[in-house]
Amino acid sequence: MQNGHYQKRVRKIYTYISDNLYLNRPDVAIKGEPFNSTLLLSLLTALNRGKELIMGEPGLGKTTSAEYVGSIIYRYPLGIIWGSEVSGHPEQTEEKIIGRPDLGELNKGREKVVWSNFAQIPVKIVDEINRLPETKQSMILNGVDRGNWEYLNEILINDEYSLFATANYQDRGTNTIIAPLIDRFDVLIESRHPGSNIAYTIGKEARVNHPLRHPQYEKELHHILRGEKPYEEKMALAEGVCDLFGEYMKDQLGLEGLARGERGEINEEMAKLDFDIDANALVRMMLAELSFCHKYGQKRSVEVCEDGCHYSGYLCHHIKNCASNRLPMSIRNYAQSLAWFLEDDGVDLEHVRLIIPYVLAHRIQWKDSYLSKKEGEGRNDPFQIYLAKEAAEEVFQRYNEQREYLLEAFAVGYRAIDGEEVIPLEGDHPIYEEIKRDIGAKDEKSL
Amino acid sequence: MKNPFEAFHHAGTRKREIPLDTILKSKEETLSKILTGYEDLLKNEAKDLVWLMQYSTVIKAYSIAEKGMEGIEYTAEDIEEFCYALDHSDQIPYLITGPAGVYISALCNHAQEEEIRLQLRDLNVKINLLGYRLPSNKQLIVEGNVGDFTGIGLDGGELIIEGSGKNYTGAGMKQGKIVVRHNLGFNTGHGMTGGELMVGGRIKGLGKIVGGKVYEKDQLIFPNEGIKPFYF
Repeated sequence: MQNGHYQKRVRKIYTYISDNLYLNRPDVAIKGEPFNSTLLLSLLTALNRGKELIMGEPGLGKTTSAEYVGSIIYRYPLGIIWGSEVSGHPEQTEEKIIGRPDLGELNKGREKVVWSNFAQIPVKIVDEINRLPETKQSMILNGVDRGNWEYLNEILINDEYSLFATANYQDRGTNTIIAPLIDRFDVLIESRHPGSNIAYTIGKEARVNHPLRHPQYEKELHHILRGEKPYEEKMALAEGVCDLFGEYMKDQLGLEGLARGERGEINEEMAKLDFDIDANALVRMMLAELSFCHKYGQKRSVEVCEDGCHYSGYLCHHIKNCASNRLPMSIRNYAQSLAWFLEDDGVDLEHVRLIIPYVLAHRIQWKDSYLSKKEGEGRNDPFQIYLAKEAAEEVFQRYNEQREYLLEAFAVGYRAIDGEEVIPLEGDHPIYEEIKRDIGAKDEKSL
Repeated sequence: MKNPFEAFHHAGTRKREIPLDTILKSKEETLSKILTGYEDLLKNEAKDLVWLMQYSTVIKAYSIAEKGMEGIEYTAEDIEEFCYALDHSDQIPYLITGPAGVYISALCNHAQEEEIRLQLRDLNVKINLLGYRLPSNKQLIVEGNVGDFTGIGLDGGELIIEGSGKNYTGAGMKQGKIVVRHNLGFNTGHGMTGGELMVGGRIKGLGKIVGGKVYEKDQLIFPNEGIKPFYF
């Protein structure tokens, strides 16, 4: 088990940002401890190499929260983070986002790519991603998903990166984020207004010299990133400057960022945290409701289930699309990160309960009828997150009601696949049908 | 292919303990200890399943009961549970109302609560000797009917019977108050030296009363001109 050394450092970073840079109100609590969801999840995103979509009104700290977290955790001075950001606007081009031909070399008849800072550094921020036209969003699909950036015939692969994208609410200048791109984001969070009193303090404490700026190291890093050395070599050199900036932060702010090796160790520690049986079963139950269709075998966004369906009390009846396989991966990564951050021995129900709404909110396509029904309900969260929170609590309640029986059903499933002759347990929830399908007790519909 | 239910290999046999389980478990443990104390009393005092009601046997039984319940942490609710266990439990094959009453009285007298309420309306048997030696800081309220020798030796406490009692109620009481909502039997207040006995209904007959006051339907019937104190 980890000794909590890294967690203490990360907590200190959380407290520093919360107290000095991103003033906010706590809006979630876990195990009796209050946190601000935006800051907490941004921190986890930076730690677990995740992808986060931050929505909110203009000027409420969407981009700055990501910049601070990325700068401190990865130890890049703020100037470099700013210089690497990609802003979403209709005229954006692949050359500005990913890379461009080296014009000098091109004149000599040679193809050579000059990679953008965005493609190279591990902290990637796309500002106002939904101002990118839908056709141009496809340009960053692979990069967002795997860290593979291709230009001309060259390819650059990021071994380690975290992606933060911000999005404004819909207005005349925004576009819809295409489904394949939005599914690639692990979490959706909102950067909220901190309330009038805290907002007043922000206005009062606005500063000129930012503590995370360091012009000299920024210059050195720019020089390295613009250089002609191979990517791996450039990253090794950049890490040296990051070490120096880390020392500077420690001296000036009392903060210890994380070196590349340390971030790797943290990820290994996180991956070792197992889900306990309840967290495991709850996630399966959730996935069943988000993928099951009694009539068509599975949810498909092109097939709408009927009103009279037996399963009309479950989420599957209210949604159009099917949960992708990225959903359980996001749940796993973030629940493990949260458990690690809280220094727990494993992932339990509380971790999963907190995480699920944020990994779900942007992925579910609700039916229009359901949206109109829920639209007028009073809430504190944006509509998408509110619906996801409601859905998560609904499933959690169902899980609590039938926990013992469901675990028994899974155990029977285990024995059936192990070769024992058993009768699968019957139940009203789609998960029981899924278990039967897995053990071959239910015939697939003939084609 | 790997078994997708691997994590649930042993799941069906494991039960999650919820707070209610813990409470029930602790309640069961307490009741079990109380029942053990009662069994010990029966073994000592009613070997042949016969218990003769004599003043000396009651005193002895009470002292054994006190020893049997030493170290048990219980509440008034546990006493009520015990009363029902006496009536229904397989653990106690014989309910002997005398020792049972002494034991319940000892439990009440040593309980932490100052007010103890026992809901005994649904009991099939009527427990004797309830309220024996009830001390001055206690109030015992019994909902339902009780048996013989209720409140004997009452020592300053307040015993309220929301029902009827039988014979020898309040016998030998020294101080305190017994309130009976309905009726009482013969020899009521026999040998009582102090305190008050108030009966809402009828008293079939008074015993030889030395001191104190007895009321029947709000009327003072002892002492009065017709019934004088008895001197043993």
